[in-house]
Amino acid sequence: MEFVSYFGAVFSPFPFLILIIGTVGGLILGATPGLSPTMAVALLIPFTFQMEPAHGLILLGAAYTSSVAGGAVSAILLRIPGAPANIATALDGYAMAQKGEAAKALQMCFVSSAVGGVVGILVLIFLTPVLAAWALGFGPSHLFWIAILGVTVIATLDSNSVVKGLLSGCIGLWISTIGLDSIQGVERFTFSEHLDGGIHVIAALIGLFAIPQVVEMLEIGRNKKIMTLMNTAQHSVVDSILEVLGKVRALFIGSTVGVIIGLIPGAGGQIAGIISYDQTRKFSPNRERFGSGESEGVVAAESANNAMVGPSLVPLLTLSVPGSPTAAVLLGGLLIHGIFPGPDLFTKHADVAWTFIDSMLVGQILMLVFGLYIARLAAKIILVPPPILASGILILAVFGSYSVQHSISDVLVMLTLGLGMYCLEKFGYTAAPLVLGIILGPIAESNYVQGRIIAQAGDGMISYFLTGPLNVTLYVLCLASIGYSIVMEVRTRRQQTAVTENEVGEEPA
Amino acid sequence: MNDHQGASQRLQQIIPPGIVVAFSLWIAFVSFNVDDPQPYLFPRLISIALVGLSVLALIRAFLGKDNVGEGFTKTKLKNVAAGVAVMGLFVFFLAEFLGFYTASALTFLVIVSLYDPASHFEIQTWVKRIGVMIGFTAVMYGLFTLLLKVQIPKGLLL
Repeated sequence: MEFVSYFGAVFSPFPFLILIIGTVGGLILGATPGLSPTMAVALLIPFTFQMEPAHGLILLGAAYTSSVAGGAVSAILLRIPGAPANIATALDGYAMAQKGEAAKALQMCFVSSAVGGVVGILVLIFLTPVLAAWALGFGPSHLFWIAILGVTVIATLDSNSVVKGLLSGCIGLWISTIGLDSIQGVERFTFSEHLDGGIHVIAALIGLFAIPQVVEMLEIGRNKKIMTLMNTAQHSVVDSILEVLGKVRALFIGSTVGVIIGLIPGAGGQIAGIISYDQTRKFSPNRERFGSGESEGVVAAESANNAMVGPSLVPLLTLSVPGSPTAAVLLGGLLIHGIFPGPDLFTKHADVAWTFIDSMLVGQILMLVFGLYIARLAAKIILVPPPILASGILILAVFGSYSVQHSISDVLVMLTLGLGMYCLEKFGYTAAPLVLGIILGPIAESNYVQGRIIAQAGDGMISYFLTGPLNVTLYVLCLASIGYSIVMEVRTRRQQTAVTENEVGEEPA
Repeated sequence: MNDHQGASQRLQQIIPPGIVVAFSLWIAFVSFNVDDPQPYLFPRLISIALVGLSVLALIRAFLGKDNVGEGFTKTKLKNVAAGVAVMGLFVFFLAEFLGFYTASALTFLVIVSLYDPASHFEIQTWVKRIGVMIGFTAVMYGLFTLLLKVQIPKGLLL
């Protein structure tokens, strides 16, 4: 119960103020269509540079949690999910809003998010130290395979094409080698003086996540995007809380599915929300009402996507393998403060780790309180016109990437990577595996080089890297994630082909 | 989708893996042609994976089996071109030349004006745009210069 002793640090005036700022900011950023939680956290990292590591992580953790919940505001009021995690919420949430129950839907969404979030953080609290203690005995070969596993899992599960996902991951790994070699100081792949120092992970994160969204906002040109906001008439908060707590089945299914999905690296809130929604519908006596404003659907989806947040950090904090793209950005935030997450995090930096985790638990309560009362305000903010939003994000990205090392090179790298990613996204390549390659590349490389030295002094490379139960388990997991994704891709393609053939068959001659 | 659009879509899908194949071969060439192999041990490993995967992606693109992503359309390219040009101008030239704050204020105003559907011939529109620009620049100044104490580069102006 070590975590209890660090609550005092969370409730100190400055960290508590940061927690409030992170929660309110996250709710607003999450509610804004076009701003994903991943981008919100990436843009906030430069603001943590001058903070103590624990304080910086409190800000990022609070923004992560509340931006996932905040995404429900636009899902309910505009039918535009603020984040992929809120897709399932829009199904019944928007239908409730159309029936004049927008305020009730918003309140129910924040209550169920808080319930799911608390369950998820409790799993994080009790599971992380156990896994960390087990992982303490890992050697270079294991850490090399864990880094490769991290890239492989996100590359295969977070992408519509396995080959393109893996290719993105490899490009990220290669980008991580640009600059000076860490052992001999030899320059590698530096095309210009701007790349002499390598590519800074935060500049890359900001560029890869923010710039493609900025350019996408400009795609509509000067056409006016008509958005009609639903009326948010008052509704009793107490009634909403009691109604959510009465939906035990939806809360249980949502929280359980969210926890399980969160623990699987690469599977995100979007999957958690949809699976939970689907399972709750199957077990509900009101299943025919789902999709037409059934509040159980909102509870199931929102409890699941927030229950996913805590467990998605378990592999990150214990093995350095982020469970989601946003967790990958958090990994960048940890590294920038000199904290290397992994087996010894809870021995070397126990104060930082526990303060961060405790703050996320307190953050769930704050998210509930602020969510219930500022959802109506957020509803006004989400109508910011796309050109203003795009210009604002661009300039924030430029200032944020400059402040990393006070270097214009970082700004140039940020924009170049971002524009390149925008083009790649048009052809099905995704940013998450590329980012993970950049983050985990140095970890994979240093352990590969160390492992080679050990292997040459021992039984050779094959014996050192490919034998032993843990090595075998890890690379089998890599292969399994690739195999599973290939099977899923083939199945999805067959279904799409069948649907297309049916549509063609139904067309009149 | 007509035949012409289908061919254009196929060609668009072939170009990115084609570029990546060329790039991967170059990385492999550089990694395997060095006097001291030690710093290139890991890049060699990556280059092998990159060449293999990019060739596979290229073959799949030729066969039309990897049509993921919407590709580019003329309308979208036309719409984003001006914005991207302004971004490039801002980051690569104006930021250092004019100073970050001046350049970012100008960029903000130009992008908003280019994409704002409101009429350019109404005074109210310009008052609103300039007001938002001043407000946003003030917030950036407060955040980065006053709060975070970042030494933002000054050019000809602020």
